[in-house]
Amino acid sequence: MFGRATIRARILYQVLATVLVLPFAFPLLWVVLVSFQGQGARANYAAVFTQTPFLQFITNSLIISAGTVVTVTLCTLLAGFALSKLEMPGKQLLFMAVVAGLMLPGIALTVPMFLIIRELGLFNNYVAVIGPLSAIILPMTVLLTRNYMRNVPDELLDAAKIDGATSFTTLVRVVVPLSRAIVAVVIVWSFLNAWNEFFLPLLFLTDPGMQAVTQIPTYFTSTYGSDVPKIFAALTLMCLPIVVTYVAFQRHFERGLTAGAIKD
Amino acid sequence: MTATTATTAAAGRSRLRSRRARLTAYLYVIPALMLIVGIIYVGVVYNSWVSTLDWNGLDPEPTQVGGGNYARLLADPIFWTALRNVALFGVVTILVQMGLGLLIALVLSGPVYGRGVYRAVVFVPVVLAPAAISAAFRQFFRPDGQLNALLDAVGLDALQRAWVADPQVALLALMAVNVFSWTGFSFLLYQAALSQVEASQLEAAQIDGAGTVRTVRSIVVPQLRMTHVTLALTGVIGSLKTFDIVFLITGGGPARSTEFLTTYIYKEAIMQFNVGYGAALSMIVLALALLLTAVQMRLYRLDRES
Repeated sequence: MFGRATIRARILYQVLATVLVLPFAFPLLWVVLVSFQGQGARANYAAVFTQTPFLQFITNSLIISAGTVVTVTLCTLLAGFALSKLEMPGKQLLFMAVVAGLMLPGIALTVPMFLIIRELGLFNNYVAVIGPLSAIILPMTVLLTRNYMRNVPDELLDAAKIDGATSFTTLVRVVVPLSRAIVAVVIVWSFLNAWNEFFLPLLFLTDPGMQAVTQIPTYFTSTYGSDVPKIFAALTLMCLPIVVTYVAFQRHFERGLTAGAIKD
Repeated sequence: MTATTATTAAAGRSRLRSRRARLTAYLYVIPALMLIVGIIYVGVVYNSWVSTLDWNGLDPEPTQVGGGNYARLLADPIFWTALRNVALFGVVTILVQMGLGLLIALVLSGPVYGRGVYRAVVFVPVVLAPAAISAAFRQFFRPDGQLNALLDAVGLDALQRAWVADPQVALLALMAVNVFSWTGFSFLLYQAALSQVEASQLEAAQIDGAGTVRTVRSIVVPQLRMTHVTLALTGVIGSLKTFDIVFLITGGGPARSTEFLTTYIYKEAIMQFNVGYGAALSMIVLALALLLTAVQMRLYRLDRES
């Protein structure tokens, strides 16, 4: 970016970059290194699987994540399509109503959510987490998808219409295949949010058999004391799916984060 | 005559069809809208009603107190402490994350070997669960934890602290955790924006003899204005809703030195059953989010017009 680099400039940049990045690397390395200490890597990781309901927690989080991903993706595709391509009075107003959700911190709705979920008798029901979580994620994903689908050429939609396709067929056969990139962003983004969610499971899933992965640190500390290497082994394992997803879909992660922020 | 009827009928049919199409269009929006309106908007309305009650959340006949909870709130020192903590936390973390993110983006746009790895290391904390990050840092911050050991190793043992047990530094420790988790976000946005800064302008500046620092300050930074605004906006909302790291690392202590509005809401509404008071606190958070967003948008618009 700043012209051709001399050897001195190269060394300067390398040193500077390393100094800046090390504070981010240390905590990550520490967690992994400590998880190998104590009784050793093998024993620590084995203990997490055999002595604790770790797999149960993972399964529960997978259920929450799957439910959230499906709900968010379906609602987003339908709404994003209508808000970008279909005619209806008050469309702008509807769009604003959806996007305004971005400004409201969901956690400020603790009281009404708690009271409503209790009234509906949905404690210890995954729906109590999936519903609110989807509502909080949707404003972002609808915004991204609507902006993306606006770029799908209208000619293609008109052609489908002339062929007698209903708007739903057009969405499924024409628009979604052309929007695969944004669909991937929506899926990855909602999975990330669901897997990492701590507050809603804390609030609504009190049954130990239903806890999410984010409850693992608290659960382990209270049940198994402070065997730090084993706790860190559990942390490493609970972050693994996210890190793997990140490495596999790096572009989609980053795009999801930047696109919504930079465009519009 | 038959022709006219046919035309009218056809027109009627097509009008009917377009009306039906419009109604169908609403059907597409309904699922998303039901969730957003049903949970977020109904929640806000319900919350504002609950905030006028003296209620434990169970009593079938709650007591109406009007603005009572708000009056109590204004006289509540814990509320003001929490507000001060969030404000301080927000200002410091937003500025540090923006500065550091921009700096890293600039440095990594230079000739750096292994750039991909550096990028990943800075960005990975953004996607990790705050719950996991909190558990790790809680351990690092212990008196016999990794942070103190590191300080000792580099000869800075004078700086050693009981990081989260000391009211003087506990908030600082939380800020550090937030900077660790969120700098990658600023970095990513700046990096994306930097790639759009015109190379020709940079060359022109360098030909004019402007040094790197000067080029960055007078050419690059102003062009990133949109990104600054975005980061400030998301940062404000982000600070207001910060909960996990506080709840899991300090629990708001010691001596309320790290109490946030969110942790206070949780304690009041869920743990103490002061549902009305918790709702009033929530209204403050909502009002702050809307107000600060509006102010920033206005500032940005004024700035762009001038």
